[in-house]
Amino acid sequence: MENFQNLISETMLPDMMFYVFAALTLLFGVLVVANPFSRNPVTSAMFLVLTIISMAGLFVLLHAFFLAAVQVIVYAGAVMVLFLFVIMLLDLKEEQHRKIKMVAIIAGLLSVGTIVAIFLKSLHATNLNAHASPVTEGDTALLGKLLFSQYVLPFEVVSVLLLVAMVGVILLSKKNLK
Amino acid sequence: MNASLMTLEICVMALGTVLMLADFWLPDERKKFAGYAAVAALTGLLVISFSGCGACSLGGSAFNGMFVQDGLAIFFKRFFIVAAILVLFMAVEFSDRIAGGVSEYYSLIVFALSGMLFAASANDFTMLFVAIELITITFYILTSFQRGRLVSLEAGVKYLILGALSSSFMVFGIALVWGTTGKLNFNELAAVAAQFETSKIFLFGVLFILVGLGFKIAAFPFQIWAPDVYQGAPTPTTAFLAVGSKAAGFVLLLRVLFTAVPTVTAHWMNLLIVISAITILYGNLCALPQRNLKRLLGYSSIAHAGYLLLGVAALSASGQSALLYYLAGYLFTVIAAFTVICLVTRHLDNDDVSALAGLNQRSPLLASTMTLAMASLAGIPPLAGFFGKFLLLKAVLEQGAVNPGYYCLAFTALAGVVISFYYYFGVIRAIYWSKNVVDVSPIQLSGPIKVAVCICIAGMFWLGIFPTTALDMANEAAKVFGK
Repeated sequence: MENFQNLISETMLPDMMFYVFAALTLLFGVLVVANPFSRNPVTSAMFLVLTIISMAGLFVLLHAFFLAAVQVIVYAGAVMVLFLFVIMLLDLKEEQHRKIKMVAIIAGLLSVGTIVAIFLKSLHATNLNAHASPVTEGDTALLGKLLFSQYVLPFEVVSVLLLVAMVGVILLSKKNLK
Repeated sequence: MNASLMTLEICVMALGTVLMLADFWLPDERKKFAGYAAVAALTGLLVISFSGCGACSLGGSAFNGMFVQDGLAIFFKRFFIVAAILVLFMAVEFSDRIAGGVSEYYSLIVFALSGMLFAASANDFTMLFVAIELITITFYILTSFQRGRLVSLEAGVKYLILGALSSSFMVFGIALVWGTTGKLNFNELAAVAAQFETSKIFLFGVLFILVGLGFKIAAFPFQIWAPDVYQGAPTPTTAFLAVGSKAAGFVLLLRVLFTAVPTVTAHWMNLLIVISAITILYGNLCALPQRNLKRLLGYSSIAHAGYLLLGVAALSASGQSALLYYLAGYLFTVIAAFTVICLVTRHLDNDDVSALAGLNQRSPLLASTMTLAMASLAGIPPLAGFFGKFLLLKAVLEQGAVNPGYYCLAFTALAGVVISFYYYFGVIRAIYWSKNVVDVSPIQLSGPIKVAVCICIAGMFWLGIFPTTALDMANEAAKVFGK
């Protein structure tokens, strides 16, 4: 790990790696929704996995190692397995043959275009170097300490939230309504 | 660190857990008592919070300023507990229409209450997000609780999808604010917000946070979900959604706008005026053709979000206290209306306005409750709704010298009130002057629900005729922003 950190901080590698990972994220992202070769939902899901993994690469470049690990384990692992299960349980024969409406394409492009335009404009107007954002150090030990000291209250409230979610899932999926 | 400030929250969470566990030991026919026990426990907490003993009414902050207990927090905590008590009365009456998991229904209401209590005290974007998610996720479940009914499931799915979308906007906004300023605490952010006023990314972040909160209070243009969800959800859920969830959105909106980014808010005066005016008009105009009672109240709740936004848009202490006073009146009025709907439609499949036909013969108490509730929503003196609307309009007109837009806003609000007379009186007409009355069997009322209905009526009259006490409380709570 030490050597690897030295390597990426000393050379021009981080910049290059950023463009590689960013390009891969975008490419796979496009392939999730608009794959010219296949309209199979499972293929789309697999491309989503690749998108998530390349985003994990971006996190590594930001030294957010914990986030990168979570990204791969939770999203690429657990959540995607869930996605695949849902896809396989649903009958998607009809979806495959459905034509995408022109109106939907135009509306989608329009909203994406607007958001991109506004973002570029605001990025352009903001001097990013003036107030450098706080340095993110993805040290797991530090994160753990913060979670149990400064952020202990939200952390505990989240535990109640998980309890509620669990009860809800059991209630809504219970087989027989007594 | 002063964790004793959280006595109310801890007690409410413990109550939720106990209710959930009580399911194991209570036989089915005794499940009702779990609901009444919850009512009793919450009443006890309310008394404690008023009596001033313990740390419940103490001021202060805990957890590095994330959790703050001030006048505003205490006002809203009492508000939420009263709402939960009245909703639990309704839930007990509703329990025969829930296929399974009655105890869970009570305990989820209590857990949603705990989320609202945390929202009332949230002074940090982390707490804001966590509290809002606790409320919203609990409501996803409460909305689809009658999963044997297709409309209930549909409402749940719609609420889930749109709620998740608005949460993603909000968390994105929080990330942008954090990225530009490096602050999450409201007070710390207020200290540095002025120097980021020109940063578009920062403003974008604040705007996205307002999108998330706008969804909670069902303000235009994030109101699309409200009528469908109000119609499909079980009636007690709808009542709690209309009162508790909306009020939680408003307390967080007030804190974000006036504690965290007051300088930005001052620039956004026109935006707030426009949103408030459109919300009032949209809610009132769309309510006109409605025949379904719950859907009608859904649109009416959008209109009321608009009226409440008048108090925000006024950007003054009198506006804020008028908002708080109006919310208090809205609590009793809306819960009274939903309690009547819940009782009248017990044996019916739909919640059509025609279900109210002949109600004055079937149950004079319910008929007069519904009449009073509609009159209060429309703003007829001497009920709570009239005085609340009067205060809001007064606060808006006071600001007229600053910006002529305020006169237009006041005029729009008055126009909205006049439009709303039509559909509110349509409901009253259905009660007393229906032509074809099919069912004249008297409605049996249990003792506890009579108590709940009487509390609502008393609340409406008390706030309308003796506004001083409540107004003092609201003024005291609004002082938080004056500092």
